[in-house]
Amino acid sequence: MIINLAWKNIWRNKTRSFVIIGAIALGLFSGTYLSALMTGWVMDTVNADIKINLSHVQIHDSTFLQNSDIGAFFNKTAVEQQFASSNINGKMTCRLKLNGMLASANNAVGVTAKGIFKDTEMTVSDIATQIPDSFGVFLPDDARMPVVISEKTAEKLKVRLKSKIVFTFSDIHGNMQSLAFRVSGIFHTSNGLFDEANVFVRYNDIFPVTGLPDEAVHEAAVLLPDIETCALDFPKIKDLYPQLKVQDWKELNPMLSMSLQWTNLMSVIIISIFLFALTFGIINTMLMAVLERTRELGMLGAIGMSKRKIFSMIMLETVFLTFVGSIIGIILAVALLLPSLQNGLDLTPLIGNDFEDFGGFSSIVYPILNVEMILEIIGLVILAGILSAIYPARKALKLKALDAIRV
Amino acid sequence: MTTIIETKNLCKTFKDSAQEVHAVENVSLNIAEGEFTAIVGPSGSGKTTLLNLIGGLDNATSGKIVIDGQDISMLSEKQMTEFRLRNIGFIFQAYNLIPVLTAKENVSFVMDLQGRKKSETNARTRELLEAVGLSDRMDSRPAKLSGGQQQRVAVARALASKPKFILADEPNANLDSKSAQHLLEMMEKLNEQEKITFIFSTHDPRIMAKAKRIITLEDGKIVSDEYK
Ligand SMILES: Nc1ncnc2c1ncn2[C@@H]1O[C@H](COP(=O)(O)OP(=O)(O)O)[C@@H](O)[C@H]1O
Ligand SMILES: [Mg+2]
Repeated sequence: MIINLAWKNIWRNKTRSFVIIGAIALGLFSGTYLSALMTGWVMDTVNADIKINLSHVQIHDSTFLQNSDIGAFFNKTAVEQQFASSNINGKMTCRLKLNGMLASANNAVGVTAKGIFKDTEMTVSDIATQIPDSFGVFLPDDARMPVVISEKTAEKLKVRLKSKIVFTFSDIHGNMQSLAFRVSGIFHTSNGLFDEANVFVRYNDIFPVTGLPDEAVHEAAVLLPDIETCALDFPKIKDLYPQLKVQDWKELNPMLSMSLQWTNLMSVIIISIFLFALTFGIINTMLMAVLERTRELGMLGAIGMSKRKIFSMIMLETVFLTFVGSIIGIILAVALLLPSLQNGLDLTPLIGNDFEDFGGFSSIVYPILNVEMILEIIGLVILAGILSAIYPARKALKLKALDAIRV
Repeated sequence: MTTIIETKNLCKTFKDSAQEVHAVENVSLNIAEGEFTAIVGPSGSGKTTLLNLIGGLDNATSGKIVIDGQDISMLSEKQMTEFRLRNIGFIFQAYNLIPVLTAKENVSFVMDLQGRKKSETNARTRELLEAVGLSDRMDSRPAKLSGGQQQRVAVARALASKPKFILADEPNANLDSKSAQHLLEMMEKLNEQEKITFIFSTHDPRIMAKAKRIITLEDGKIVSDEYK
């Protein structure tokens, strides 16, 4: 009965109710929309970086990370067998990582050459798919000394497909070694830094000149089904190799995992600012609603409606207002987001492609709706509604029944 | 007849910055069950103040009001609200219906507050609105009703809680003479047939004429108290 009355009361001044509902809806809409966009953007980046660069877990000799020393290697077969005999559902590939100078007739750049095993590499990383049509192929088996470089590197060296380039590095004994390669493919990822730093060659092409013992590799990369599985399996993998340094994607790229946390924090901050402003709006609206109803509230008291019930009624009115606003805002946000959940949202017209040079932000965003977050937001809005209703509702109680009826 | 309202040396003094107004002064009266009593007197004579005191809407400065054996000055504000809900029906000069509720809902409202069964409430609402001649306007909101019709809804509402008595402060003041006449006849009928106790204030001579007892106030004091 009070519920019925409260519901009807919020529609007595439609303009005012719509204004406050609109404000709540707009705030929640932008909050939900922005946070879905930001989460999507960051998750895209995270996933792209995992698929192309980081994998979920990487294993190195513990000294390798400090100085990328060519001598900080481990035995490929031992590590692979240990992984295979565990019951972890994932793929592993091993790599040599050699820092050196890549030179063409025109120019030279410092890069890391990754000596990879193509078969396993392609089960772990998506790098082979980052070569556009007519930009060659990823280390074909029949080619002699193929190398895959990025578009950026190709531009710097002023080379194209089939061009000859020379990679120079120091072997395990400190002797300079030079190897000539031919460009078999040119890749392009959304991570400009990665593109500049990495080139890919076959393990067997580069291994003989390193002077390393048989089966030596610098890095093992593991791809697990997804981030959630990674959280569970990472400790197990760590236990598998007590002598080696085992890191998950968060440790490997702290910036990345931090930006994920930042996104959530940003959403919370935005919503909090909005809620703070909202509180004043609600107080103002409900105060007006109470004061202009002085006579009616007094009458309700006179005919025997208890203060507790009057208080509840005003509180309910506020909750209804905020609830309706939240629902409208969220429905709006979800409706607008739905088409872009599948196909992504192309932000190129807004931000251009500049972000790609800058650590892998793609211009196409696949928004992610976080249901938990939405429920949390609704909860917060209603809480803000309740808190801001208390003052007007108390004001309503101070009105004396008598003052209401005097003509 | 049993006495349901008894006031003893009732006083209400309003203190303005400068002056004191003795709105009700030493009023002692008894009202018995089934009365149809008019409180009359010029504007400012204390009619509203007296009715507010009897209805427990205002606290007396001194004196005592006993309703149905209960000294209402002993009740807390919360208890008083509950007491009004159970024992007193109100009809206001400005109707004061709940604007967002229909006639039917306005009448049911008090019974809902009392916590009566839905079926009982619905039946009684229908019955009361029929009794005041509004069975065809049950689903109209107050704004869609004439003043006379609104005041009849207010009468039905006042009756809904099965109160011991009904207080009506100038119930006719906002009505045209025909509606006023009609309303009074209805109250009269309810009084005669249902034995409902009415205490109403007025300064309309035609309405005074219908009353069975007329208490006249002047400057807050009873100057005459006549039974017909
Ligand atoms: N809240 C109040 N504050 C001060 N004076 C009041 C108040 N209410 C009534 N009065 C005074 O008390 C007297 C009686 O008023 P009232 O009971 O309204 O008379 P009536 O209803 O007969 O016109 C008047 O002089 C009025 O000015
Ligand atoms: Mg008056």
